[in-house]
Amino acid sequence: MKKPVISGNRIVVPSDQEYLSDVDAFLEGTLRGFGGEESIIADIAISVSELVNNAMLHGNKSSEDKSVTVEISRVNGSVRISVSDEGGGFDPSNVADPLAEENLLKEVGRGLFIVRSLMDKVDIEATDKGTAIIVTKALRQS
Amino acid sequence: MRLTDREQGGVIILEPKGKIMGGPDASLLHDKLYECIESDKKRVVIDLAQVDWMNSTGLGILISSYTTLRNHDGELKLANVTDKIQSLLTITKLVTVFEAHDSVDAAIKSFD
Repeated sequence: MKKPVISGNRIVVPSDQEYLSDVDAFLEGTLRGFGGEESIIADIAISVSELVNNAMLHGNKSSEDKSVTVEISRVNGSVRISVSDEGGGFDPSNVADPLAEENLLKEVGRGLFIVRSLMDKVDIEATDKGTAIIVTKALRQS
Repeated sequence: MRLTDREQGGVIILEPKGKIMGGPDASLLHDKLYECIESDKKRVVIDLAQVDWMNSTGLGILISSYTTLRNHDGELKLANVTDKIQSLLTITKLVTVFEAHDSVDAAIKSFD
């Protein structure tokens, strides 16, 4: 059975939500090492948990043969995090508006909206090998 | 996430602790809620004081708890919503759905 693999500022986990806590521990440890504010670390941790969840469930369709890769880098006073899957990609314009009255009591569909709300920048890169979502956030409030 | 529960004044108080991010968290709370409903305990408060943060899965669990109880003529209220969770409830407009109180005691009294 596959296990999480950590190499430098990168963690690769199988597509199983059991490993969400491994990603979180790795992420928060790295961000504290970067000197991030606790409230900002929490915002980043929430966002990355959303992206990893989406990558496992929607990107890799929970396939045990496919992994999710999270890479963290520090760029001046900000952190840049890439979450990539090995799935078929998705069209963000197809995501329903979670604020619409008819969607308010739906149990799913808010992940990307929350990421966009909490992060400074969100880029989506779709390739034939999968989807990578790259988020950027300042480590301290200006 | 870890979950404990207790009863006070005929109201069930669920006390999740840690981070609510997905995986087994959903079934843990869901199973406890159905246990309450089957025991005819349909007034429930979720005390969020010791939840570090939650993501959209956590919000989904709260919505599921709210609708499940409502569909069984029960009622869910929140207590001790932290700033981080309040911020998420606000940006997702779920602040308009949930009734939240500053303390568990205040939430319990609101059932009267």
